[in-house]
Amino acid sequence: MSNAEIIKTIFLAASRETVWDFLTRSEKLAEWFHPAERDLAEGEDYALMGQTDDGAPARLCWGTVVEMDKPSKMVWTFTIRPLDGAMTTVTWLLDDVADGTRLTLHHTGFTDIAAPFELMRALDSGWDKHLSDLRAADAL
Amino acid sequence: MNGGIQGAFRALADPTRREILIKLSEREMTIAEVAENFAITRGAVKKHLTILEEGRLISVHTHGRERINRLEADALRPVSDWLSYFDRFWGSRMLDLKSAVEKHERNSDE
Repeated sequence: MSNAEIIKTIFLAASRETVWDFLTRSEKLAEWFHPAERDLAEGEDYALMGQTDDGAPARLCWGTVVEMDKPSKMVWTFTIRPLDGAMTTVTWLLDDVADGTRLTLHHTGFTDIAAPFELMRALDSGWDKHLSDLRAADAL
Repeated sequence: MNGGIQGAFRALADPTRREILIKLSEREMTIAEVAENFAITRGAVKKHLTILEEGRLISVHTHGRERINRLEADALRPVSDWLSYFDRFWGSRMLDLKSAVEKHERNSDE
């Protein structure tokens, strides 16, 4: 998993400055993700807020803004509540293109997500059986 | 986020619940049998089992007066596949971002 990464690119009919606002300002983040505790700033922790299953306010995604190069690049450490604090890295790249902005997301650093893998190892024999059942079913 | 996988993640976020799953991978167990393995109250074990059941990582079968807990290992498969999880997660987030940005642009043109 160490080389694992997710790369996604979208084209937006807006300037890089506008897209930057949507990635960094609390009320703009709220329009497509979750509201941030406050506007994002380089070197500071951030948290995107939502609710737990019981309706109590809770951090849903959080980390640190490692790098901000307005309006072209931002790097976050990033985790979500179910990951139990294991940090990954999210990099946003904004490029000028005709009529708008190309926004690229890189999500890397999945090596720290250990808990389910420990569990997978512990359950390995069960998986072997499951996979052989699957192969047998495929062969039919 | 997909409700099913979110429930599974919630269930896996706790180390005691992960230990319970490992115990249940050896064999099916009643609540009392699970509780024997842990230094916590039977009530606390029951709460953990309920969350595991809500995450569909275990199923509960009634056998006479006993309630038997069984691991549902298939439910772990989408959770173990982090890349496909985050792939869907960002896919849907970025579509929402595109809608929000372009709506903003249309409004500012008017």
